[in-house]
Amino acid sequence: MKLLLAEDDTILADALTVSLKGSGFEIEVAGNGAVAEYLLLRHDFDLGVLDLGLPLVDGLTVLKKVRAVKPTLPMMVLTALDGLEQRVAGLNAGADDYLTKPFDFPELEARIRALLRRAHGPVATPAVQTTGLLRFDREARRAIVDKTTLELSPREWTLLDLLLTQRDRVVTKEQIAQGWTPDPNEQNLGSIEVYIHRLRRKLEGSMVSIRTVRGLGYLLEAEGQG
Amino acid sequence: MLRRWTSPLGALRRMPGLTPGTRSLHRHLLLWLLLPQLVLWLAAASFTYQLADRYANQAIDASLSTASRSLARQVKPSGSGLLIDFPRAAQDIIEADPDDRVYYMVSTPPGEFILGNSQMPQPPAIVEPRLGQPYLYDGVIHDKNAADQKRDVNVRVVALYLAYGEPGKPQQMLVQVARSRTSREELARQILIDTALPLSLLIALMSVIVWGGIRGGLAPLARLRSVVESRATNDLAPIRLEAAPEEVRSLALALNTLLAEVRENVNAQKRFISDAAHQMRTPLAGLKSQTELALSSSAVCADPELQARLQLVHESATRSAHLVSQLLALARAEPEAAMAQSRTRFDLQRLAREVTAEQVPRAIAAGIDLGTDDAESPDGVDKPLQVLGNAMLIREALVNLVDNAIRYAGRGASITVSAHSEGDDAVVTVEDTGPGVPEADHERVFQRFVRATHEGNGCGLGLAIVKEIVERSRGSVSLQSVQPHGLRAVVRMPLAVIPRP
Repeated sequence: MKLLLAEDDTILADALTVSLKGSGFEIEVAGNGAVAEYLLLRHDFDLGVLDLGLPLVDGLTVLKKVRAVKPTLPMMVLTALDGLEQRVAGLNAGADDYLTKPFDFPELEARIRALLRRAHGPVATPAVQTTGLLRFDREARRAIVDKTTLELSPREWTLLDLLLTQRDRVVTKEQIAQGWTPDPNEQNLGSIEVYIHRLRRKLEGSMVSIRTVRGLGYLLEAEGQG
Repeated sequence: MLRRWTSPLGALRRMPGLTPGTRSLHRHLLLWLLLPQLVLWLAAASFTYQLADRYANQAIDASLSTASRSLARQVKPSGSGLLIDFPRAAQDIIEADPDDRVYYMVSTPPGEFILGNSQMPQPPAIVEPRLGQPYLYDGVIHDKNAADQKRDVNVRVVALYLAYGEPGKPQQMLVQVARSRTSREELARQILIDTALPLSLLIALMSVIVWGGIRGGLAPLARLRSVVESRATNDLAPIRLEAAPEEVRSLALALNTLLAEVRENVNAQKRFISDAAHQMRTPLAGLKSQTELALSSSAVCADPELQARLQLVHESATRSAHLVSQLLALARAEPEAAMAQSRTRFDLQRLAREVTAEQVPRAIAAGIDLGTDDAESPDGVDKPLQVLGNAMLIREALVNLVDNAIRYAGRGASITVSAHSEGDDAVVTVEDTGPGVPEADHERVFQRFVRATHEGNGCGLGLAIVKEIVERSRGSVSLQSVQPHGLRAVVRMPLAVIPRP
């Protein structure tokens, strides 16, 4: 995957180049807006990372110009400006994502990969998700823990699916109830605890645990973390 | 006494509140309007009084002169002597008024008593008295009253020198008539009362009118003052003044021009700070990224001391980045910026739960149990806590509070976020079981760059940001200690009034 990085701060550009190369990408660096625009239009890149505050031609203008010619090229804005107006302006000008400085490199990488994935085929959730010793196959509709297939009721399946999709993040009781029935009148928060209890029992020994988040809901995580 | 009144202006200046530049406009106007008027009125009154007094005296003196002439007629020269034809009845008439005693004396040659009261005071010595010309003077008669006690009577005397006798033997006669000054004094007093009373009323009425007029005239100024005084300290919006007199309007205009300039200056400064903060982020990002790269290199991993040092560099970079973010957040929370942002109605409880859910992974990483504890309503449906404000800013405030708790509560602690209503307020509390903050610091830590502890990577702006945001949204934030140890941050905001359909 070939990326163009438009960033005028040489130190940051150098760090990013090395890091991204280390993640397996090919990188070219443009030190100002004019060069960035030229390279993006004339050469083939899989993704562009644009700083907004570029000399000669500013990032927003480059973004608009490139977007006019290449509407499907994934473009990420990387900038110090985090105000709402700037965010909206960037997204309106055609940016696919907006990341503010300073940032954590893993997040930058994850977002770049997400954009590339989106461009090269919609894969929202992997068909098979492995967490700990749990192998969750959405296509085959099977959950296997260490060679043993789990017996899951439809509600338990939906619940586990939701928790796995939101792995390491909180899933609220309201979200769970909504996942079972979208109709708010039929939602019953009281029975969730029972299902969680059952799931926990079934997941014993899978190195996957469901944490109770007081007052909010639950969170699935692989054991050995935290 | 004389010296004190020599310089009335100096005395005036020494009076409190009258040194130039510090006296009030009100008092100044009152002083300059009323005092000269008072003085002029009094002068006019005194002049009028003296005039009236003089005319009254002239009348009295004229009557005395007439009396002396008629008395003189009663003394007719006959031959070489004088025939006195002064019937008792006439005497009685003259002497009738017991309050206003009339004395008379005829003497010839002048000084030699022949008729009347011998107590008559001497006329002033005149070498060649003119004949037939009444001389008027004041004197004292030593008299006895009805109880035969000695009494001194002040009198006004008229002395008339007359000539008689044959041409060869000229004789001089002195006729004196005296009248006690009681009636004159009575008259004077009466005149005084008759002028003083209406004059006082006039002065009182005038003072009231002047005072009322000044008050009314200065009212626009007082209005302007109250408008300015009721302003919040940071409010630089133009002053609106309807229907004000010219002078006040031009003052308000001048004020508004000044306010506009100050506003522009403040905004320019804020923009500069904001730009500067933004600009700092790029080199900080470079610093952080390079340090991370260095930390992941094999050479560094093999050298623990180098690794530790680089770790500290990275921490410092992270702290700087955090500080810059907080500075920008604080700048965003300032009123000028906040005014441009919209206020909407939103559910504070929902926002609190969202913010908490977002922070849970971070809490887990820090070994802290983060959760919520909302009072559940009987039917299981949470009643929304509707408030009016800028949702993004309030979110920032809540994030700061939870972030603070996670930073400082310590591994193993628990943090509980709860939202409920209390009377007319919506209340959100963030309570932790960490080490807490000493009561003495509960107010202080809301100041910028004041930290309760020097551990950790905080920069001291978190609570200042929360306070700024919450207070701009017409709410309040405070800290409470928790037993046995911990801290509870309480944010209060007025519940939005739901308009009746």
